[in-house]
Amino acid sequence: MGFFSTIFGFVGFGMGIAIGLVIGYFLFIYFQPTDVKDPVIRPLVEQDSETLQRLLPEIPLWVKNPDYDRVDWLNKFIGIMWPYLDKAICKTVKNIAKPIIAEQIPKYKIESVEFEALTLGSLPPTFQGMKVYVTDEKELIMEPSLKLAANPNVTVAVKAFGLKATVQVVDLQIFASPRITLKPLVPSFPCFAKILVSLMEKPHVDFGLKLVGADLMSIPGLYRFVQELIKDQVANMYLWPKTLEVPILDPAKAMKRPVGILHVKVLRAMKLKKKDLLGASDPYVKMKLTEDKLPSKKTTVKHKNLNPEWNEEFNMVVKDPQSQSLELHIYDWEQVGKHDKMGMNVIPMKDLTPDEPKVLTLDLLKNMDLNDVQNEKSRGQIVVEVTYKPFKEEDIPKDFEDSNTVQKAPEGTPDGGGVLVIVVHEAQDVEGKHHTNPYARILFRGEERKTKHLKKNRDPRWEEEFTFTLEEPPTNDKLHVEVISTSSRMGLLHPKETLGYIDINLSDVVNNKRINEKYHLIDSRNGKIQIELQWRTS
Amino acid sequence: MGLISAILMGMVVGIALMVGWRHMMRYRSSQRISKAVDIKLLASLSRDDLKKICGNSCPEWISFPEYEQVKWLNKQLAKLWPFVAEATTVIIRESVEPLLEEYRPPGITSLKFSKLSLGNVAPKIEGVRVQSQKEGQIIMDIDFHWGSNASIILAVEAAVVASLPIQLKDLQIFAIVRVIFQLAEELPCISAVVVALLAEPKPRIDYTLKAVGGSLTAIPGISDMIDETVDAIVTDTLQWPHRIVVPIGGIPVDLSELELKPQGKVVVTVVKANNLKNMEMIGKSDPYVVLYVRPLFKVKTKIINNNLNPVWNQTFELIVEDEETQSLILEVFDADVGQNKRLGITKLPLIELEPDTPKEVDLRLLPSLDMQKIKDKKDRGTITVKVLYHEFNKEEQLAALEEEKRILEERKKLKEAGVIGSTMEAVGSGVGMVGSGIEAGVGLVRSGLGAVGSGLSKAGKFLGKTITGQSSSSKKSGSSIPVTPAQENGGAN
Repeated sequence: MGFFSTIFGFVGFGMGIAIGLVIGYFLFIYFQPTDVKDPVIRPLVEQDSETLQRLLPEIPLWVKNPDYDRVDWLNKFIGIMWPYLDKAICKTVKNIAKPIIAEQIPKYKIESVEFEALTLGSLPPTFQGMKVYVTDEKELIMEPSLKLAANPNVTVAVKAFGLKATVQVVDLQIFASPRITLKPLVPSFPCFAKILVSLMEKPHVDFGLKLVGADLMSIPGLYRFVQELIKDQVANMYLWPKTLEVPILDPAKAMKRPVGILHVKVLRAMKLKKKDLLGASDPYVKMKLTEDKLPSKKTTVKHKNLNPEWNEEFNMVVKDPQSQSLELHIYDWEQVGKHDKMGMNVIPMKDLTPDEPKVLTLDLLKNMDLNDVQNEKSRGQIVVEVTYKPFKEEDIPKDFEDSNTVQKAPEGTPDGGGVLVIVVHEAQDVEGKHHTNPYARILFRGEERKTKHLKKNRDPRWEEEFTFTLEEPPTNDKLHVEVISTSSRMGLLHPKETLGYIDINLSDVVNNKRINEKYHLIDSRNGKIQIELQWRTS
Repeated sequence: MGLISAILMGMVVGIALMVGWRHMMRYRSSQRISKAVDIKLLASLSRDDLKKICGNSCPEWISFPEYEQVKWLNKQLAKLWPFVAEATTVIIRESVEPLLEEYRPPGITSLKFSKLSLGNVAPKIEGVRVQSQKEGQIIMDIDFHWGSNASIILAVEAAVVASLPIQLKDLQIFAIVRVIFQLAEELPCISAVVVALLAEPKPRIDYTLKAVGGSLTAIPGISDMIDETVDAIVTDTLQWPHRIVVPIGGIPVDLSELELKPQGKVVVTVVKANNLKNMEMIGKSDPYVVLYVRPLFKVKTKIINNNLNPVWNQTFELIVEDEETQSLILEVFDADVGQNKRLGITKLPLIELEPDTPKEVDLRLLPSLDMQKIKDKKDRGTITVKVLYHEFNKEEQLAALEEEKRILEERKKLKEAGVIGSTMEAVGSGVGMVGSGIEAGVGLVRSGLGAVGSGLSKAGKFLGKTITGQSSSSKKSGSSIPVTPAQENGGAN
């Protein structure tokens, strides 16, 4: 009897718990409203000291640290924009999710998956401070402290076998301090080529996950487990030094690196027009690539010849074969006065097949305007042979020449030796007594190199690179750099002036491979010079 | 019996578990919400808030200026500047050089930049202020300072003279730029951007023009005239309430709300003036009044000879676009052979007027509107005007808009027909402006003393400004603000 009653007791207790859970679930959870209410926010001034005490750990970084900047204006901006952003983002998400859901559903025998509610809530993300780091490299680093404490309501309803289940995400909170690096900086908009994002700390993630109304995250222990799991997962992917890379610009295009060489052979021209009053014209050809800053190349002048033969060869550096084209202009040479135009034409680079010589006979035109009636007049023809030779793939650096990695020395450098590269970036606050037209002069083992002259500039930027091939590492050598200003006038009084100098020990470079630093100039009040040194070994 | 009691006990335990769970849910949810609220509260703090939180130990490095400082942005901008300058230079060259070619006056064979450098001083943003006055709009005011050492040399090749390079240097811009973002419910959430310079404090744009080897300063008055032209362009195209509307994101929106529209009209009767200054050696001044709300639409009274207390009693109607910020400007001139001298100027802010109530006011004449420039405190007399402000209703507004368009069209035609000169009801040396929406630019025609000679052309993009001059006092100049071609409404609307 005792045995049976115990069994009954256990069975009954089990049943009781089951029934109790069901009743309790329906009473206290299922019939509770699941919609998300906007929290009431009272202004800070009205808060009591208890709430203020609670606020203390959340005080923004810009209040605590002087090196963080306040970005409340940005918060305000996002705050006003948030309702619109919310709607726009949710709309986009729905539109993206729909086809994916439609594709996946048949595999799992699910009738439908629908968003019952989708809103990011009324609370926008806030930036609790912004910090920037200034380095000597070509990069911008910023570290916003981002806190997203939103009140979203994302409810997904799944229907299968005639039953409906809902999954709801509420109160999503993500606190992170991402480091955003824009680099390298390039001289074409938007002025940087890549965005690198990485997290400096493990992010804080918290949310409520309601499965058919019951919040799984509030089961003791489970929340901590899930949170740790997410943190680890994110940390694995993006915790510094791991980064998320977003390319913005095509490297080759952004840097305008040469990608090939165009061989042009100007063969001859036929039936040119007479331009001179006496005798025939004196034609010569001028050519250049569009968007090229280099001066155009010229053939020799063929005097008194309307059917000249040149057979002259030229090489031109191509930076973008898609957009560039070769411009040919024929001029009539004159002893005195302006040279007359005799005609022109253009060969678009994209019409050429790489590594294949092509002989083209072109009609000479007045200009490239198709509708210009003057182009119908015959001006003669020109014959050229053009070959486009792109560099081989391995010749072009695939990526940006990442300034942090030192390239290999070219072949042919002696064993144990290498190449010393000196990049003179810029100087600041150099000032001469009488004039400030600075250039930098480098002295290394008796060899002298100079940068360009910059007129009237207290903060000159040279960005010039000099290389020295050496037999052995320059461990005991010194590099002497001085900034000199020369008078722009032919003045005899103060022809030259030294604005400051610096001696740099090269042993550090050999060990570090690369040093990029600003040095204070000696014999100068505030002058600084930024010099990058590289030691490339094979 | 045991079974039932066990079931009951089980139920109690089960329900208790559920209650516990619910309690946990509530607790955690309220925790999260209160944290969210805290963060929201701390997103924008004011001085009082901070005092309340920190008590007396408020950190010294914090200040709350009206315009929030953006040191981090300036740091980044300074570093990025050499690259931005280079990229901008390329864009200016590509877009402005063809424009220059278009505006090139006859007699000049080539007009090209021989040097274009934006210098190595980066612009500085002194502060940013964000506010929202209207639903769906964000107003961002940027305090922009650029004391640049930009150097722009424009090579002018004339057929007769060899080459005359003109240099623009020491460009300085201090202005508060107002950017209004019109919000939309589709990504990127901004459907249009409105850009304008705030009128108060007055934007300052300084620069030096030099003719390298030539003589630009040798011609009297040309420098002033260029200044005046530039000022008129800035005031009438960029300065609030005038604005540039740029639609973005390809979202079709009704931009008409954002654009400047006639809001009302002011009926002005210039009655008389008293105790005017005598400017002439023999006899007395020959005064007349030029009045305008926008420099684009100037009107003038008849000249009354030899009188320092003239009575005109003439009535004019002027269109008002923005009652809050615009003013009625009255300038009294002395008609003379050659240049007309200004006897005095005064302004009447329209906000002081009540709609549809006539008002008679006496205004003191001043040597200049810029109070800092006034040196002599001498009395220059008074002017009496009767003013009546009338706010338009919808139909009247449309009619006024049409009328304005018609006038601008007419002027454009005149310009095309080659009538460069005083193409409007303004004074001989007044400012005439021709706006053109199609060419994405605003051309400004201003006649000088009617002398013959080649003109002066001006084109500006972003802040790059170029001016070419030739030895003459008649000039033609055009400024362009290339925006998305779809909508351009600088001063043309």
